[in-house]
Amino acid sequence: MSHSGLRITDLRVNVAENEILKGINLAVEPGRVHALMGPNGSGKSTLAFALTGHPRYAVVSGSATLDGQDLFAMSADKRAKAGLFLSFQYPAAIPGIKVSNFLLATRNAVKPGDLPPAKFRQLVMEKMDLLDMDISFLGRYLNDGFSGGEKKRLEMLQLAVLGPKYAVMDETDSGLDVDALKAVGESVNAMRADPSSNHTGFLIITHYPRILQYIKADRVHIMIDGRIVKEGGPELANEIERSGYDTIREETALHA
Amino acid sequence: MPETLAARLNEDVLVASILPYYVDRKERLDAYAMYLRTPSGRERPGRYWKIDLDKLDISGHELGTLEVKLPASLPPGVVCIQLAEAFERYGTTLPWFGLAHGKFAALTHAFVNGGALLYVPAGTIAEEPIQISYRAQNGAVFPYTLVIAEERSQVDIVESIRGSDGCFVAALCEVHAKEGARVRYASVQELPSDAQTFSSRIAAPQKDAAITWATADLGAHLCVSSIDVLCNATGIEAEIDALFFPHDDQHVDLTTTVDHRVGESRSTTLVKSAASGAGQARYLGNIRIQPSAHGTEANLKDDALLLSKDAHIDSVPALEIDANDVKAFHGATVGAIDEDQLFYMISRGLERCAAEKMIALGFFEPVIERFSSQGVRDRVRAALEAKVTA
Repeated sequence: MSHSGLRITDLRVNVAENEILKGINLAVEPGRVHALMGPNGSGKSTLAFALTGHPRYAVVSGSATLDGQDLFAMSADKRAKAGLFLSFQYPAAIPGIKVSNFLLATRNAVKPGDLPPAKFRQLVMEKMDLLDMDISFLGRYLNDGFSGGEKKRLEMLQLAVLGPKYAVMDETDSGLDVDALKAVGESVNAMRADPSSNHTGFLIITHYPRILQYIKADRVHIMIDGRIVKEGGPELANEIERSGYDTIREETALHA
Repeated sequence: MPETLAARLNEDVLVASILPYYVDRKERLDAYAMYLRTPSGRERPGRYWKIDLDKLDISGHELGTLEVKLPASLPPGVVCIQLAEAFERYGTTLPWFGLAHGKFAALTHAFVNGGALLYVPAGTIAEEPIQISYRAQNGAVFPYTLVIAEERSQVDIVESIRGSDGCFVAALCEVHAKEGARVRYASVQELPSDAQTFSSRIAAPQKDAAITWATADLGAHLCVSSIDVLCNATGIEAEIDALFFPHDDQHVDLTTTVDHRVGESRSTTLVKSAASGAGQARYLGNIRIQPSAHGTEANLKDDALLLSKDAHIDSVPALEIDANDVKAFHGATVGAIDEDQLFYMISRGLERCAAEKMIALGFFEPVIERFSSQGVRDRVRAALEAKVTA
């Protein structure tokens, strides 16, 4: 069991020759919610893309393991099959591919043949209901012409349908109104409460503590300038709410 | 063998009484002369495009057999018969070759050796699609299709073009849609990979008529197509939906033209093309709005997807707008598969090549969905899938 978790050790990542992540250590435990907070440009999204294997993000050194499996030895699709999921801040629109077909193709890719078609349909319907999504979504092209809120709901639907071991949610809260934010929170909380689910561990990347009113974080990590500078319990998010990142920036500069 | 020599495509065959009598010798010779002297107006050979369409030597081809399959049962009053029978029945009362223009339409006119007439009486609504199938056997065939849809009639036509190895098909189709008629003409070309095909499709809708051309050019080594709509009245709705996908070293040249001569009509042109291997294509999309065509609305959108380094698509939207008070839009894109789209799909567990295939097939969907028959949509999807996998 010592292997379990999404474990990131001394991770350094370059984007276009610039060092963005400067030695990240972070562990997401199964079934727990970790919040990764930090100001814009601190490297939060870089961590998300490096973990999932985006070709523009070059891992310079360090490691990441998913329940003991070396993520960086796997292609991006294999990482998904191993149980990693990234909810994109800006999901790509892909005309011509229907949501229903994509859900089926990706579920078959990550969990081949584990559900008979009728059960699969039932699963999709339940999850859509929870996210307050109309059935017409299924016939639409992937993110094509979707509003910001619709895109995020579709990301949450895919998260719920694929049932990964670890989910990285990259600024899912940005640009969401309260209703959409609530729906996102309910969906994640339902996944946590569901005994038949995967015991998914969450890494919720956010700028603002707002989303943490809907999804209770077990642990909060603060990232500034490519480093985790502070860690703590949920109360740390309240501290950010009160005094912003500058106080922490000053604090950590003093310690440096 | 003298017969074989006589059957080669040149002037001899036109005077040798081998071809059906319903187009007389002089008319054929005139059309042939027109074919010879008319410039193709097509892509010139260059770095990518390898075939000179102005110097095609067709004399190497022999006249082949055109098999024509037409529906056995038809709605009351609708006529769908072979060309020979149509000439016998209707003689000169129909506007034969009335719309034909251009080099390759003249070629069909010169050598026409079969085809079909579809006549839909006024007010008749044909519920089921009318299937017209052409098959080229052993050589060159020249199908001619004449569609006359009388006032307020509605008809949906599905044409299929197939053939034997090495065949040559020069097809001409003319559609007369009378006042208030609605005609949809879908065509799927699936010739073998060493075939050559030239097709000319021309529609002249009258007031308040609607015409839709939906074409999928999937086969042949060389495919040269033109689709024309002449808007000579008000209230016309013209739609052109076309897709093509050269792979290996297939060459496709498509020209669409919507000519708004009279205003208060609408046209939409949507073209999706992909190329893989050393596939080459040129698309020229003409929209003409003549000085008196006020109140015209014209849309043209074409997207080209390049799936390999050696594939090339030259995409040229050409809008000539000489009237004020019109709405005209055009948009064109050409490029490879978007890396962000690809990563999005791969990060959800799909293998790279599976994701590429899904994106490429999805790319065509907006056009495929405009084919009204489920059977045709599935056939087109299957053919595209085979190309993506090739």
